[in-house]
Amino acid sequence: MVLVVIVVAIALIFDFVNGFHDAANSIATVVATRVLKPWQAVLWAATFNFISFLILPLTVADAIAKIVSPDVASIGLVFAGLAGAIFWNVLTAWLGLPSSSSHALIGGMVGAGIAKAGGHVVNIITLKKTAVFIIFSPLVGLVLAFSMFVLISWLIHRIRARRAVNRTFRGLQLASAAAFSLGHGANDAQKTMGIIAMLLVATKHLDKAVFKDSELLPMWIVLSCHAAIGLGTMFGGWKIVRTMGTKLTKLEPMGGVCAESAAAATLFFASYNGIPVSTTHTITGAIVGVGSANRLSAVRWNIARRVGWAWVLTIPGSALVAMATYWIIEVLT
Amino acid sequence: MIDRRAIFFLISAAVVAVLAPIVPYDEKHPLADKVGTPLAIALVVLALLSFLDHWSRRSEH
Repeated sequence: MVLVVIVVAIALIFDFVNGFHDAANSIATVVATRVLKPWQAVLWAATFNFISFLILPLTVADAIAKIVSPDVASIGLVFAGLAGAIFWNVLTAWLGLPSSSSHALIGGMVGAGIAKAGGHVVNIITLKKTAVFIIFSPLVGLVLAFSMFVLISWLIHRIRARRAVNRTFRGLQLASAAAFSLGHGANDAQKTMGIIAMLLVATKHLDKAVFKDSELLPMWIVLSCHAAIGLGTMFGGWKIVRTMGTKLTKLEPMGGVCAESAAAATLFFASYNGIPVSTTHTITGAIVGVGSANRLSAVRWNIARRVGWAWVLTIPGSALVAMATYWIIEVLT
Repeated sequence: MIDRRAIFFLISAAVVAVLAPIVPYDEKHPLADKVGTPLAIALVVLALLSFLDHWSRRSEH
């Protein structure tokens, strides 16, 4: 029982770190365009992170809980998976790279699962969907943001009062940041819910029926995961905020609205369809979409390339750390 | 000078077209495997628009 409590606590700490690491994306554009001061932005994002469970279904939690076969799940496996993901997150945060906590978690669980029982215990459908959407989700964000930006630019190009236009979009950015934070809270907090559900079913503290109907997930899991990610957001990862909001491309309020709305729409779609996507990938794609609508050279491709490498390496990197951790646990116990 | 933006969109469309059939059908969430085709088409359309934009700008100069 003590071990279960400790691993649940580690999962919640991971969720907090996820908020710290990933949720900065929710506020990067609002801060970059100076619509909100950093402390106002984190409070705004954290609130919408927390209440997202009231709006979006728990489909992602369901997908993550079954990423490895429930029959092989154990305390050691979940611990090793979390260790791999946390190690990867700390490493990329230290390097200032916006990699994905979500994919680190998936990579960690897959690595620990393979270390314990081999590749056949991995849920290939979820893994394939997740892997393909590493490419698809930023491109969907890019296409939506680009199209929205071009359409709005065309609609307002005759308006001379640029200051009034900017003021309107500064207001709208509050709504788009809120929508993005909802999508982020739903997709990311649910990943930790899935991991906790996997652990509790493995240790017989929760009935297997939760895998068939995610609405059976106890409310304390839902609330604690949303609270952890919300608190993480409040403490923010400022190094990454700078990379996302200012280094990738320079954003005006209209661009911020387009990027966040496009990313929010992508996250809503993913959350409804049980696809664990990365909020980092999605908002990066959307920001690049807005940047390239101006001109392709507006995107700082050397930064985008570094980000891309971090994405590609996340699942194998965290999987390897998780495998090593699992084998160390095996040797020690 | 070539339109690098159009080339970026076309390469992305090709990558999406290659990956689209890999997305497995999931009866609980049947929309997930239907994203690839419209996404690839959208990227080709954007490539075309980008090329036209580039071409018209060059003609102006």
